[in-house]
Amino acid sequence: MARSQISDYIKQSLSRKLSLWIVSFAALIFLISLGFMFSQSLTTVRREAVNRATQVLENTNLRVNSILEKVEIATDNMEWEIKAHINEPDSMFVYSRQILLNNPFLNGCSIAFEPYYYRDRGLYFSAFSLNDNGVISTTQEGNDHYEYFYMDWFMMPKLLDRPVWTEPFFDYNPDDVTYEAMIASYCKPLKDDFGIFIGTLSVDISLDWLSNTISAVKPYPNSYTIMIGEGGTYFVHPDKSKLFYQTIFTETLEKPNPAISELGHAMLRGEEGMRQLFIDGADSYVFFRPLGNTGWSVAIVCPESDIFSGYTRLKRIVVGIVMFGLLLMLFVFVRIVSKELEPLKKLAHQTGTIAEGHFDQTLPDDGRVDEIGQLSQSFGNMQHSLVNYIEELKRTTAMTASLENELKVASDIQMSMLPRVFPEHKDLDLSASMTPAKEVGGDLYGYVEKDNSIYFCVGDVSGKGVPASLFMAQSAQLFRVLAAEGRSTSDIATYMNNELSENNDANMFVTMFIALLHLDSGKLEYCNCGHNAPVLNDAFLDMKHANLPLGLFKGFEFEEESIDDIRGKMMLLYTDGLNEAENPAKELFGDQQIINLMAQAGKRNSSEVIDMIKAAVEKHRDGSDPNDDMTLLCLKLS
Amino acid sequence: MKFLKHAATAILLSAVSVALYAQERLVFTPQWTAQAQFAGYYVAKEMGFYKEAGLDVEIVHPTATLTAINRIRDNESQATTLQLCQAMEIIDRGIPLVNILQTSMNNAMVLVSRRGKNPLTQKGERVGIWSAGFGQLAKCMSIKEGLDYDWTPFATNVNLFIKGGLDATLAMSYNEYYQIIQAGYELSDEEVFRFRDSGYNVQEDGVYMTVDYYNKHKEQARKFAAASRKGWEWAAEHPNETLDIVMKYVQENHIATNRILQKLMLKEVLSMLEDKLTGKLEFRLRPDMVKLASDMMVEYGMLEKEVTYEQLLAK
Repeated sequence: MARSQISDYIKQSLSRKLSLWIVSFAALIFLISLGFMFSQSLTTVRREAVNRATQVLENTNLRVNSILEKVEIATDNMEWEIKAHINEPDSMFVYSRQILLNNPFLNGCSIAFEPYYYRDRGLYFSAFSLNDNGVISTTQEGNDHYEYFYMDWFMMPKLLDRPVWTEPFFDYNPDDVTYEAMIASYCKPLKDDFGIFIGTLSVDISLDWLSNTISAVKPYPNSYTIMIGEGGTYFVHPDKSKLFYQTIFTETLEKPNPAISELGHAMLRGEEGMRQLFIDGADSYVFFRPLGNTGWSVAIVCPESDIFSGYTRLKRIVVGIVMFGLLLMLFVFVRIVSKELEPLKKLAHQTGTIAEGHFDQTLPDDGRVDEIGQLSQSFGNMQHSLVNYIEELKRTTAMTASLENELKVASDIQMSMLPRVFPEHKDLDLSASMTPAKEVGGDLYGYVEKDNSIYFCVGDVSGKGVPASLFMAQSAQLFRVLAAEGRSTSDIATYMNNELSENNDANMFVTMFIALLHLDSGKLEYCNCGHNAPVLNDAFLDMKHANLPLGLFKGFEFEEESIDDIRGKMMLLYTDGLNEAENPAKELFGDQQIINLMAQAGKRNSSEVIDMIKAAVEKHRDGSDPNDDMTLLCLKLS
Repeated sequence: MKFLKHAATAILLSAVSVALYAQERLVFTPQWTAQAQFAGYYVAKEMGFYKEAGLDVEIVHPTATLTAINRIRDNESQATTLQLCQAMEIIDRGIPLVNILQTSMNNAMVLVSRRGKNPLTQKGERVGIWSAGFGQLAKCMSIKEGLDYDWTPFATNVNLFIKGGLDATLAMSYNEYYQIIQAGYELSDEEVFRFRDSGYNVQEDGVYMTVDYYNKHKEQARKFAAASRKGWEWAAEHPNETLDIVMKYVQENHIATNRILQKLMLKEVLSMLEDKLTGKLEFRLRPDMVKLASDMMVEYGMLEKEVTYEQLLAK
């Protein structure tokens, strides 16, 4: 519903439609441009992040390595002195102390030997010095409670036969559990002249500085650094509860996480690289690299939201501006286009007013020369022409109305010329009817009583309308005058022909059947002037002379014929409006139907026969207009 | 009136003091640092089962190098957990012990290869073994199978193993095995030899006292065993609550472990309590397993003479 309402709202205004199209297209262009720009920016920001993190890691690594190397060098320097005095066990205490004095950054040093290496010293011999905030104490640390030769720091160089960094470990004081130092030991195997392992030289260094250095690495506000040992144990992590207690794999034991496991394995393998993964509740980039030759690995975890925060902010602003711009554009366009189309709107409104008949409306003319100005001007011209045309039409219509009125009068006159009253004779039954096809018809009928006889006729003037009616009036008048003189039917025809031919420039003519019936004898004399053959009872009258219609050739001699007695017979005279009456399919009424109808006349009088025939014709027409005048004259002499 | 009230309070307080004083004190030392392996004892202590039995039990863990048996020998502790083979060895060395409660019904020891091999193919290679004195069964197996391993004692083995200092190592399926996996080391079935499934299913942890102490404190021993058993049964029914209790002990002792590892350990340890024949927590020594262990250890020179089931049983 709402959608169709919006659609309708847009469809109803050209300015809205046009503006929407333009803005949509602009939006598409923006979308493509911005998409490309953002994609490029994304790549650049990512590259920048990789560079930055790599740089930070590299710097950290350099700093850490420089210190670790110092530890290794100090240990190496001490090793030859130990070897040189290997047979003087007490000197080991001196050396373990000496190394701490020379290298204040070291926390402790053990010079530990295999069980019973010095037989006189028993199972344990490990010279251990501890730097406790500048105060150096030295002891022999091995005893039944501390079997040092099972410790990692002692065993690793022995088993691996090379110097090694131990995994960092907590050194906490049971009396002061709040202090927990992270310690790592650099351990070198000590060998005798035969290359046989005799003990381990181990120096301890507090890794608090390392932890602080690494934790301080923060290329992004929410980024953090982790460090894991060779067993994946966290030695640096913002979540202190994980330190030493968890490895990078711990959580995967409960909930497998292939991405984390893969990262852990890559770090353990000493690889350098970058991974994109979901870690600690955020999509992040993890940059990692190994830390010197310790076997440890450092990683910077940078949440994507941090790396791309500038980019995201820029994207939001740009998208906001573009959205606002597009809306503003839409608004402005609608206003501008609407303003530009204002004359068109007025034009539409005034056209509507004109359509309602107010032709005197003035169309807007703001002097524009563009398409809208041209349209307005054209429309003005059209309005002018329309006004003229309508004036002309009004005039013509008035004239037509006047003419129609006159035609009506003419029709009335014409009809008045045809007798409506028929002779009242005890033996004669005569009726007639004329139905015009147009207002003024060309058919005629008439009768004239003369002594004991009666003249009657039916005629059909060529053409229709006023000229035909004038010709018919003349013909009817001539018939009445000539019949009144008691002339024969052929004589009447000949005389009428000569009269009508005179000055007949229009070449009009009339077909006519003229008859004289002697009422006492029943004799019928007749002259057919090119007219349809009448019907007598149920057959067409068989005539020898068809003659010509009247008015064609002056001087033509018309022949007449006669029937001795028609008493008791029904006679029908008609014009071609009867037999040629058409139905909607243009089928003619036909002669046969006339014969059939006459056969059914029976005891009907002439008026009833005429009504019967007219009803049959009406039925045949089936609603179509009469195509010609139809005249019927029916008589019967008893 | 006021005087009477004070007097009543004083009498009541005296009664409580007497009751507290009446509780017998006992120091119990599990054979390893705090972890879910000893969940039943922590539960008995924390849920008050020991107190209900009239015992004032203190749980003192050994350090990685000061072993539980040293504490027993020096009478610093009166009861300790030991593996069956370990107890037999100690008895054989002249410290008579008696088993007052057997918890483990199965062997949890595994042998894990560092070289991607079947440990049975690592003849003569360097294999880690606890310096604290477990692993008698593995030594028997090494001889029996003709593998002649180069045994390397360690205090803790995970770092040595990970760094490649060992070719293989002994591990407990509930402890070091998971630590190795937690270190990112992936193990296939081929690389892990399980003693339980290979004809060496000898039950492990049980609670032991010296015969001397036991003979003088039989009732106390019985009460301690019953309360400890109750602790284990409660732990089996309430693993989540038990894990909370275990973590409390782990944190108090600064043990470098975590909840996930302890959860895995607890599950494995509880499954070891179940006798595979009956499917129940039996809490008893099985004579067949004692015989198997004793025979092997005598045969491969770890015992001078047989230690019998009857000898171990608390009477």
